[in-house]
This record gives sequence, C-alpha cells and structure tokens, in this order.
Amino acid sequence: MQFRIEAQPPTERVVRTINLDTASEREVAELVTNTADADLVVMIVSAGTDAHAAAVIGEACSARRVMTHTAIVRAEHATGEALSRTLAQVRPWSLMIVVPMKTTTWTIF
Amino acid sequence: MLSHEQNDRLTQTGPGTPLGRLFRSYWIPALLSEELPEPDCPPVRVTLLSERMIAFRDSDGRLGLLDEFCAHRGVSLWFGRNEDCGLRCSYHGWKYDVTGQCVDMPNEPEHSAFAKKVRLKSYPLAERGGVLWTYMGPPANEPPLPEYEFATVPASHSFISKRVQECNWLQAMEGGIDSSHVSFLHRSELKTDPLFKGTRGNRYNLSDTRPVFEVVESPGGLYIGARRNAEHGHYYWRITQWVMPSYTMIPPRGGHPIHGHFWIPIDDENCWTWSFDYHPTRALTDGEVAAMRDGKGIHVRYVPGTYRPLANKDNDYLMDRVAQREGRSYSGIEGFAMQDASLQESMGPIVDRTKETLVSTDSGIIMARQRLLRAVRALEESGTTPPGVDRVHQRVRSASVLLPPDQSYHDAAREALIAYPGVEPATV
Repeated sequence: MQFRIEAQPPTERVVRTINLDTASEREVAELVTNTADADLVVMIVSAGTDAHAAAVIGEACSARRVMTHTAIVRAEHATGEALSRTLAQVRPWSLMIVVPMKTTTWTIF
Repeated sequence: MLSHEQNDRLTQTGPGTPLGRLFRSYWIPALLSEELPEPDCPPVRVTLLSERMIAFRDSDGRLGLLDEFCAHRGVSLWFGRNEDCGLRCSYHGWKYDVTGQCVDMPNEPEHSAFAKKVRLKSYPLAERGGVLWTYMGPPANEPPLPEYEFATVPASHSFISKRVQECNWLQAMEGGIDSSHVSFLHRSELKTDPLFKGTRGNRYNLSDTRPVFEVVESPGGLYIGARRNAEHGHYYWRITQWVMPSYTMIPPRGGHPIHGHFWIPIDDENCWTWSFDYHPTRALTDGEVAAMRDGKGIHVRYVPGTYRPLANKDNDYLMDRVAQREGRSYSGIEGFAMQDASLQESMGPIVDRTKETLVSTDSGIIMARQRLLRAVRALEESGTTPPGVDRVHQRVRSASVLLPPDQSYHDAAREALIAYPGVEPATV
C-alpha cells in the first residue's frame, strides 16, 4: 500500500499524516502539537488494529477546528467484527472515512 | 486534482482512446424504446462515444445500429427510407440491413454482386426494460445483456427518461456521487418535490446538515455512505451505489420509488443523462408517473420534440432570482435535474481538473477517478475485464437504513445493497 498526494493543489494547505498502526506515543504527541498549523490531519489504520490514539488526535483537531480524515486499510483481510471495532474507535473523531479494498495506491487529493 | 494527462485520460472516449476502450467493454444505453416504436418507423440519429450512427427498426422488428453515412458517397442515412427489411439511402438507393450489410445497389448493373462486398460498421442493439442497449466493443468480448434492476422489473414498475447534458460525462457523473451538495443545492426540493417529500429520512437530512461520509470500495465500484444522527444514538445512513463506469443509484426515501442515473458520453463535450425511477415490488402509481412526465423528481420537461431540457443554458436555465432571494430555491433553478446540470455545465465543456481544490468530502469523487484510472490501465496492459461488466456487480441497490453506531454499514447493510427480485428495498 502506498500513499501520495497526486500533485500540489493550487491552494497551499498543510496536511499531517500519521500511521496509527506504528505510531509511538511521542509521534502522537508531536502530531497533536503540530495540528495548530494543519488544514487536514489524515490518520491511517489497519482494520482490526487498536486505534485509541485517534481520540487523542481527534480531540486536539476538534479543539482547533482542523479537518480529520481516516483511511482504514487492509479491510479485505479483516472480519466484519474487526472492522466495526476500528470504526467505533475512529468514527467519533473522523469527519471523513475511506475504506479502500485491494488498493495498491490511494490518492488523497 | 488531476494532471492534464489524467484529465485527458478520463474525459476522452472516442475510438482508440483508453477510456473509450473501457466504455466499449459494457452494454450502454443508446436509445429509449419509444424512439423506435414500431417496424419501419423513421430512423434516429445516435452519437455515442464520438461515433455518429443511425438506428432503425426494420420491417420484421429487428434493431440495427449502423454507421450513419452511406458507404457510397457519405450521405447521412437519416434521410433514408426504412422499408422492406432495410434502410435505403435516399441519394442512389443503396440499401442496408440491420447488420450493416449492403443488400441492394440499384444504380449498379442488374447482375452485379458488388453489394455483397459493402458493409457498414454496425453494433448490436438489444431491447431491455424500455431501453435499447448497445455494445460497441470487440464482438468476441460481448458480455451478457445488462441486469441493472430498473431494466429487469415489469414495465409498469419503472419510468425512464433521458436528457442531453452539455458537458463532458465525467463532471456530470461526479455530481451523482457527490453527496455533500444535496444539503445545499437541493434542500428546498426535499420538502416540496412529490417524489421526495414526506419521509422520515428527510427529517434526518434536514435536521443534521453536516453528514459524515464513509466511502468503501465495492466489487463493481463504490459504496458512498452518508451518516447522520438519528434517535437513540443510532445513525441514519444513506448509501449511494456507483457501478463502473457511470451507473449511480440514489438512496431511496420512504415508500417513494428508487432512482438513479447513467451518464453516457455523446462526444467529449456532451453526454446523455439517463434517469430512472422504479419500485422493485409494485407498479408506479398514476400520480407518480404523471409527476415524472411533468419533470418532477430527477426528470425534466423538454423543448418540444427533443430531449433537450426546457430550462437550458440558452435561457439561463429559467433562473428565478426572487425564489433564490426568498429561500424557495437555493440556486434559483427549479428541479433536481437542472439544478445539477446548470452548475455542471457552468464548469465549461470539460472542466480543468488541474485547477480544482478538492476537500475531504470529495473522497467519493477521488476514489472513483482512481478506480477508473486503474481499470483503464489494467485493460490496456493485460486486457483485464473492468469492474461493472460482471452482472453480479450490476444487481445492486442503494439503501437508507438506521444502524447502531459501531457497525460498518457495508457489513450491516450487506443484504440491503443487493437487488433480490421481489424483495422490498431497505428505506427510511
């Protein structure tokens, strides 16, 4: 799975991205600090993975009115129950969720 | 946003283009059955995927779709005579059957066999569900006839219309999967249109104007879920179906018929917007059909004798600034269809996607473009049959459902998203 911003958008914006599968507490804390200047925070998480950090990030984004976007990847390998568990963790903190299936490249904009 | 090259790839559908090849993998709607109502009726000019053709129903009721121009001197066969199992050119009398084979050449010597060597390009034309469908790809790859549910229910259960839209097919189709515009552009119609108003779902629509979107890849395209708050901690989900390349189904409202669209390129700067309403388990009422004929719901009123909308760009879509100012209409244009078409046409014949500024609520559009680009590449590189050709991908429904907050909608509503004949739709 690869992620890319297809081309520089005409309106400059600051996008912060974090992989919740591998992010350490320090990386989450850094992102929370850096949400101040962000226009969009993108969280990436595998279906079935514990995504409790979404609440910490989402709360900071909500306070600063920053848009949040979550991609739940590898859903094709997860059970419905596992996907639902991850959805329940990210939904309160995500203003947009995408679930790509069998995708090798996913484009943000 | 897209690069120039990507934008070209997704908007050009003429012969030899990558996306043109993709479109030529499917049966696509070509005409309404009503356009060729009986044997030997007048032929009809048809332009699809930048190819100019002529359609006719011969004396035995067989359907033909041929190159529009006579092989002799290039005259349009629209002027021809549809008689005795063939279409005869009005210039010198050359006559063609429904396969494009020249069967008579009356200006040649009586015993000449040259006619046997002359054949116009032709495509199959098949009738199903009030629509004449064509397949414009290689004959060896012709798939079975389409099985979209609207085309398989009894005739009394469906109503189908089409209109010319004066812009590229993609910007029109992208409107069909852009759920976030409904709360703005169409907000007044939700309360007033006879084919939409009066449902419980509308209450959720109007009370929660900031839906949250979840886009999930489906076997044939995408599910686009819009989530709104409902009672008792539940969510009200509206799930749109997009099936490749250009079939969309709008989520149903209460007991109203289900509706949706096909967007089919005429050429690179015009497309046909097909609009269908149907109910899987009952006939449409006289009142519903009358409303559809009157341009309500997703249908339009026409310039008489044409399929061009009465409200069109030449009359500024009959814009009503007073209605806009007084809040009776968000854009000042009347009706769902022309509210959409007016704005999509205003982007120009082919919108320049290198200049757009997409945001997160455009994820459905972004993912649809990516799926199209992937399918085009797979078809080019390995001849892979694209999603949406398989009839299983076509047997789908949109749905509106209430679900507990922790469930994935495409899992919880899995059965509701499949078209089972005779089964009630899932609708709120």
